[in-house]
Amino acid sequence: MSQTSPDATSRSATTAARSVDTIVLDVRNISKSFGGLHAVDNCSFTVARGSITGLIGPNGAGKSTAANLITGFIRADAGQIVFDGKDIAHLPPHRVALRGLTRTFQITRELERMTVTENMMAAPRDQLGESFWPGLLGLPAVRKQENEYLQRALQLLRDFDLYDLRDEYAGNLSGGQRRLLELARVVMAEPKLLLLDEPFAGINPVLAARLSDYIEQMCRAKGITFLIIEHNLAMVERLCQTVIVMALGRTIAEGTMAELRQNAAVVDAYLGES
Amino acid sequence: MPILIFYLLTLAIFGAIYGTLALGLNIQWGYTGILDFMYIAFVAVGGYVTSLLMLQPSQPALGETYVLGLNWPFIPAILVGGLAAALLAFIVGILSLNRLRSDYFAIVTVAVGLVLYTIAGNDTPLVNGWDGLSAIPQPFQDALNLDYNTYQFFFLGMCIVILILVYIFSERLYRSPFGRALRSVREDEMVAQGLGKNVFALRLKAFVIGAFIAGIGGALLVIYVDAFNPSAWTTGETFFLWAALLLGGSANNRGALLGALIVPVLFAEATRLLPNILPPNILSPQYVDSFRYIAIGILLILTVRFRPQGILAEKRFRVRKSKLLEPAVATAGGPVPVTDADLADNPGTLTDGNVTPGEEGNTL
Repeated sequence: MSQTSPDATSRSATTAARSVDTIVLDVRNISKSFGGLHAVDNCSFTVARGSITGLIGPNGAGKSTAANLITGFIRADAGQIVFDGKDIAHLPPHRVALRGLTRTFQITRELERMTVTENMMAAPRDQLGESFWPGLLGLPAVRKQENEYLQRALQLLRDFDLYDLRDEYAGNLSGGQRRLLELARVVMAEPKLLLLDEPFAGINPVLAARLSDYIEQMCRAKGITFLIIEHNLAMVERLCQTVIVMALGRTIAEGTMAELRQNAAVVDAYLGES
Repeated sequence: MPILIFYLLTLAIFGAIYGTLALGLNIQWGYTGILDFMYIAFVAVGGYVTSLLMLQPSQPALGETYVLGLNWPFIPAILVGGLAAALLAFIVGILSLNRLRSDYFAIVTVAVGLVLYTIAGNDTPLVNGWDGLSAIPQPFQDALNLDYNTYQFFFLGMCIVILILVYIFSERLYRSPFGRALRSVREDEMVAQGLGKNVFALRLKAFVIGAFIAGIGGALLVIYVDAFNPSAWTTGETFFLWAALLLGGSANNRGALLGALIVPVLFAEATRLLPNILPPNILSPQYVDSFRYIAIGILLILTVRFRPQGILAEKRFRVRKSKLLEPAVATAGGPVPVTDADLADNPGTLTDGNVTPGEEGNTL
């Protein structure tokens, strides 16, 4: 890897030093333009396994585009996205998800005319019964798996205080309940890395605190790595050990929130015109 | 009143056939959310292919020209007819289902339907053009040798057996994890993709399965009416089936059957009698068709406006009591378990005795 900028050189050196054991996601020089707009421009960062990593930046920094690139919803013009040791930059979104990289959306999206439990049951990644014949015939292995998933779904719903709503249509839930269901649903998929796109947007502080407790709990108990795109910096500070800052489509800094506050480039990006 | 009986028999046969057709459309639209406006073309392909396989070789001297004419028995013919419709769906689907979102895909289906309609009508050597096929052999009649009337009962029985098979198939499909994946695609493609569902493959499968059922139903329809030409499968016919499904209830197989009884059977078939009842100065027979379309249109608008889920709404999946978790240790904010002491203290409010923390029901 030959790099021109000294910053990028040092980054690739550290990347090479670290192994797949410690790095779950390694984004290398990805770019994406929409017409003349360079939404993501030669952007690189890594996410450490088992961490809760924040991704912040002013509006228009390219965070959501980066999320869409990482999860395959948009294809990168250039660059590599190494997830769990394999390049996933050219995979369609469902293949990315099947590898264990799951996401939530900025605006909560539910399977509205399906019940809360069905929303959960739709999540697991390896469902024998989702193939036509085994599903149609209701093979014993399928029934066994369905039973296991149902028990796990109900357990998770109880953990997320949604158990009493299990038979309710997801479309009838309140905004806060939707956030909880969305998180419970992606946890149900047992991902290795969970990308949350603004999980705290538009929810009240009490629920936000609950949600952040859940995130920490899922990180600890289930070993899920979290990459959280968020504007609520207090929440990011509370949750994230490492925070990546994006501006104008690139990563401009990385560190703890305390460090970033002292970083002139970050302060500029947020306050100045840069 | 034998005439009335045979009229009702006719309606019953149409009911069974249209019921089968509605179930196929339900898999495409009700389960998966695919806007298919060429459904009647799948019906036609199934009907044509089955007929062409069962007919004697074409006799151009008698003014009839068509391909095949293989004199096949009924069962392989109807299966190949269904497969032919499925193959058409596969080709249309693989070319456009992954590139086009639902409404644009719908435009493609309208176009393909019209292209097929035009080809079938104008390419006379193919399926005898606008004159269509007729004198299609009656299934099993060689072996049974029934008189005309008795055979009608036999045919009804056959249609009902196929309807029941398709119904059981559809229900099983709906309840399977595969059906759940189809519905997740219907609800939100992006969420489904985010959960690892191959949206394109699932939509393609549902489209093909629905078309296969359409082809089977089409074979029965063509054999029953015993004459089939392109005017029998105009785009308008597709909307009869759509109206049936939307009125009866999308994603509910019983709703689809009910809709098939109400719209194509009661509305379309039974309105044939209207000119006999109303004097010609009020309803001239030539306007019956037009009034039928107007009535169906109004019915569709009223359904979508006032009862968008249809008469029989989609069934709600409820977790079975036997599958529920053991009552949890009461958590803050959670339901408080009902103890024997509570029951003793408030016998009036708990007379049915089945209020448990696990059975709170709908709280919204």
